[in-house]
Amino acid sequence: MTSRAKLGLGGCAAALALLIVALAIPQSPSLSESPEPLHSNLRGPVPLNEEGPAHRMTPEVNTADREIRNYPEQPPLVPHRVDGYQLDRNVNKCLSCHARSRTGESQAPMLSITHFMDRDGQFLATVSPRRYFCTQCHVPQHAVKAPVGNTFVDVDTVLRNATGKAPE
Amino acid sequence: MTEATLDRRTILKLQAAATAAAAAGLQLPASATNLPTGVDATQLTWSKAPCRFCGTGCGVMVATKSGRVVATHGDAKAEVNRGLNCVKGYFLSKIMYGEDRLTQPLLRKKNGKFDKNGDFTPVSWDEAFDIMEEKFKAALQKHGPSGVGIFGSGQWTIWEGYAASKLFKGGFRSNNIDPNARHCMASAAAGFMRTFGIDEPMGCYDDIEATDAFVLWGSNMAEMHPILWTRVADRRLSAPHVKVAVLSTFEHRSFDLADLPIVFKPQSDLALLNAIANHIIQTGRVNKDFVDRHTLFKRGQADIGYGLRPEHPLQQRASGKDKPNDATDMSFDDFAQFVSEYTFEKAAEISGVEARHIEQLAELYADPKTKVVSFWTMGFNQHTRGVWANNLVYNIHLLTGKISEPGNSPFSLTGQPSACGTAREVGTFSHRLPADMVVTNKEHRAKTEKIWNLPEGTIPDKPGYHAVLQNRMLKDGKLNAYWVQVNNNLQAAANCNEETLPGYRNPDNFVVVSDVYPTVTALAADLILPTAMWVEKEGAYGNAERRTHFWHQLVKPPGEARSDVWQLVEFSKRFKIEDVWPADLIKKKPDTAGKTLYEVLFRNGKVDKFAPTEVEAGYDNDEAAHFGFYLQKGLFEEYAEFGRGHGHDLAPFDTYHQVRGLRWPVVDGKETRWRFREGLDPYAKPGTGVDFYGHADGKAWIYALPYEPAAESPDTDFPFWLTTGRVLEHWHSGSMTRRVPELYRAVPEALCYMNPDDAAEMNLRRGQEIRVTSRRGYIRARIEVSGRNKPPRGVIFVPWFDESKLINKVTLDATDPISLQTDYKKCAVRIERSEEGSI
Amino acid sequence: MMNSGTRFSPAAIKGRIARARVRLAAFPWRERALEYWNVLTTPSTAYSLGFLIIAGFLAGILFWGGFNTALEATNTEKFCTSCHEMRDNVFAELKSTIHYSNRSGVRATCPDCHVPHNWTDKIARKMQASKEVWGKIFGTIDTREKFLDKRLELAAHEWLRLKSNDSLECRNCHSAQSMDVARQSPRAASAHERYLFTGQKTCIDCHKGIAHKLPDMASVPGWQ
Repeated sequence: MTSRAKLGLGGCAAALALLIVALAIPQSPSLSESPEPLHSNLRGPVPLNEEGPAHRMTPEVNTADREIRNYPEQPPLVPHRVDGYQLDRNVNKCLSCHARSRTGESQAPMLSITHFMDRDGQFLATVSPRRYFCTQCHVPQHAVKAPVGNTFVDVDTVLRNATGKAPE
Repeated sequence: MTEATLDRRTILKLQAAATAAAAAGLQLPASATNLPTGVDATQLTWSKAPCRFCGTGCGVMVATKSGRVVATHGDAKAEVNRGLNCVKGYFLSKIMYGEDRLTQPLLRKKNGKFDKNGDFTPVSWDEAFDIMEEKFKAALQKHGPSGVGIFGSGQWTIWEGYAASKLFKGGFRSNNIDPNARHCMASAAAGFMRTFGIDEPMGCYDDIEATDAFVLWGSNMAEMHPILWTRVADRRLSAPHVKVAVLSTFEHRSFDLADLPIVFKPQSDLALLNAIANHIIQTGRVNKDFVDRHTLFKRGQADIGYGLRPEHPLQQRASGKDKPNDATDMSFDDFAQFVSEYTFEKAAEISGVEARHIEQLAELYADPKTKVVSFWTMGFNQHTRGVWANNLVYNIHLLTGKISEPGNSPFSLTGQPSACGTAREVGTFSHRLPADMVVTNKEHRAKTEKIWNLPEGTIPDKPGYHAVLQNRMLKDGKLNAYWVQVNNNLQAAANCNEETLPGYRNPDNFVVVSDVYPTVTALAADLILPTAMWVEKEGAYGNAERRTHFWHQLVKPPGEARSDVWQLVEFSKRFKIEDVWPADLIKKKPDTAGKTLYEVLFRNGKVDKFAPTEVEAGYDNDEAAHFGFYLQKGLFEEYAEFGRGHGHDLAPFDTYHQVRGLRWPVVDGKETRWRFREGLDPYAKPGTGVDFYGHADGKAWIYALPYEPAAESPDTDFPFWLTTGRVLEHWHSGSMTRRVPELYRAVPEALCYMNPDDAAEMNLRRGQEIRVTSRRGYIRARIEVSGRNKPPRGVIFVPWFDESKLINKVTLDATDPISLQTDYKKCAVRIERSEEGSI
Repeated sequence: MMNSGTRFSPAAIKGRIARARVRLAAFPWRERALEYWNVLTTPSTAYSLGFLIIAGFLAGILFWGGFNTALEATNTEKFCTSCHEMRDNVFAELKSTIHYSNRSGVRATCPDCHVPHNWTDKIARKMQASKEVWGKIFGTIDTREKFLDKRLELAAHEWLRLKSNDSLECRNCHSAQSMDVARQSPRAASAHERYLFTGQKTCIDCHKGIAHKLPDMASVPGWQ
């Protein structure tokens, strides 16, 4: 097996694990099975002139596992909690693990080389100030299942359907 | 789901095969590896498009393969964002693929017939248009043109807004057309018109890299305009002398970069602005030469009311409610006298901000060596004195001459991708026409009728129902046939349970909602039209820095979904001119007799003059294929006639498909970055230096306007201020972003942010469920005391993206009496433990 | 931030202390104090040794009780946050952290982390605190800006203290021996296994800013 395939499978397993975690969190009853003729699962069957209960707050997923990206250009999601992380002009808590010089000790992924480029595409000695606020692109995930699914498929699937080749 | 995804069985099978092969020391044959080979197979088609979300107007590159969007990323060639996107932008690829996409028209039916209380039933487009036609004609019969209306959007593409405006104002002769941009930047637009006589910012985003100080007035750019924030952060962190002042009624993520963080009491920004003007005058830092040559002073009408229903006591009491936009001339000395009462001490008392902090802020403006960019969004605009706030910030830029040059820039940001391009420039407001013209001006109407080739007197001379009034008129049964496109107003309108929903469900009314997903607004309608979105159609947006940018249709919409412009133009075929115009009007243009609105407005020898073959090779255009002409190009070129030669010049249609947008006025092929400054703006007359040509006198007007209190303030029964807003991960009502699972999981629901000391005092804690109740309605939400927003005591913040917590049932439908924009930032509420006691 | 280098440098502080000493020397009660010293050092002639021992013992109990009560009174969050410098800055920040609000409601108060629990160290820390009283009287951090200017220095003191006592106050509650890595997140478990259990690092090395906001960390190793 190639390493790429391993990564893919590992990622699938991780995604599956995440799904199991998400399913383990109690959800409101499945809304799509309700007899209500048409409603959105984002609101549920509560009539528009009434207000339903607020779901319990859910914790942020806290793992070190990477989720498969939908496409290579997608910023990776944060697999761990970041609540309470200080990220201001004094301090960037994220960089204390993900900065190039910190990854040896932290074993965290180094931020991508694109993050060293300034607005004109020049590489700087350190992370570019325009990329300083990490959470503008990288977001943690709560342990909750999205009530409305998404039918996006990645390019590998599209290609496989087009070429009939074996899946990754 | 149309295409199979990897299921667990397949994974296991593959894993087994690979393990077996490895164990046997075998290599799998090439065809079984995971690397697709061949350039054709792996090549993606990349095309440019603007982002679908906010008014920043980032460029994105969109990859398609086999008719599907498979990837998106920030466009490195786009000047706005140079390769970056925010998290929403990076997930654009998924916004069209929510699993509950609407693909067929749905009509409420019972026993095979339309019934207001029936269930949504799939119908054909023909049947959908049949019932719409019947209901629109009935409403026209009953009330005349004022019986029909449309509520559009700052997310309409330019030609969609233009077609809607033409259909309603020129076709149905109804000015009852307004965009949801009324909720968003009507105060900014009115502020521009009052001070400069011409809409939209004089500067551009290039100011960010040229300035020494940023002042955020009620704008949480870190979350709402993240990519502009990357530019601000870049500037602040690369140039240590640069200062960032952040003003808000609660602490939020933009404070993370603040050198001067200021939390003020709601509504008191008016006092702070006047105190700054006073400081500039008192310390002798007025740029006298600039002020003498380029400004005039006006005393604005005060006590103008709160845009509530006329019978409301606050309206009854207001002495200036009938003439809110009035102003009289005054001198500089009068103005200095007027603002002299706004000492730092007085402003401190009103605002709760320490006087020395107000002074530090005022110094940024007063110091002639410091270039200043002021940014604002909803904190100013959603304000019962929003137009005043806009005028007052221009005052301090004008008094110091810090305007219309790189780095000195009062800059109104926008929340929607085409709030500027469509709502404002096309003029889809109930009082406006293209290129800053208004329906109340005879010459403006005449010019419009000429370009539209309609008889004189077609366009009504009174403003139609604006956003808030449309809801009131629906409720009161005076607006009976109503079409909503590209917005979610049941979630977005203030006091929606008392003023919006009743109108939608009023048995006298027929409400059509064109949407992509079953939003709460769609679910409150009688007919839902499935709609194509974003790159499923050819489009054009205009961002906050006057940048017009285009995109091509890149994929097909699902099922029977059709674009808004298709729906508008197709529907126009259902009306004969005799159905909508009186005989004497037809007599003025006899050649219109017997024709349909489609033939008069669109298939009229002008809009239809470009052939479908002119669509750029390699791209679909469903509308051109359907109508037999390049509809978008015809509409755009006609629309562009309004602005060319009048300070709103647009480039030729085809140019925009080649470039990453251009900032108007585009004169001799060149865009304009700074307006009103001679040498930078081709419209600034030689020898003037600075030419505020929006007003006939060439001057900008400085307004004397007082501090006046909010429409509703906390009291013993409702002791908290409620302020509402957005979060980074969701855009507006969340109808797109909450269908992207990654974004949903990032911020699953709206929370009630409150001060930990308030919570402790009420024996409440993080995670508990509470009711947020106002005089109008309530929601149930969970308490957050340690999140990204940190309100001071006495203030709570609840974002409005979550349709399971319709916070706009709680807000007050008070508006700015000049801009008619709602104040979503201030009303009084109480907090109670949810009696259900659920955990 | 600009003036922190001059006003609060060690040299400047030393200078100020020296000037204060000179001022104190001018007071006349120095003579009186010498007289009292003579009385105290002369043996008693009026009371029996037994009485003196018992009375001394009782007085000692009273004194000790009073001292301890007073000491403990200063060892509470209420006392700490009676100053606005603490209440509006560090305490306000604490409220949004895990050490204030968490699943089980077990929380840390100011002295839990900032005052050693064993007696000797506690007294030593309390004596150090006289400097803080000095700071209070002279308004060293009586505005938000002054506090922010001084924050790095103040934080550095605490980091140094915790570094040199091997994060003693952390470990009063968080015993490395009692950690169940199976109940920790994978990232935490791995970091603890590699650095904490091996003694390579102590708590404060990685957990700076766990309860309060951090100052500009540009000069602090391991931060960007």
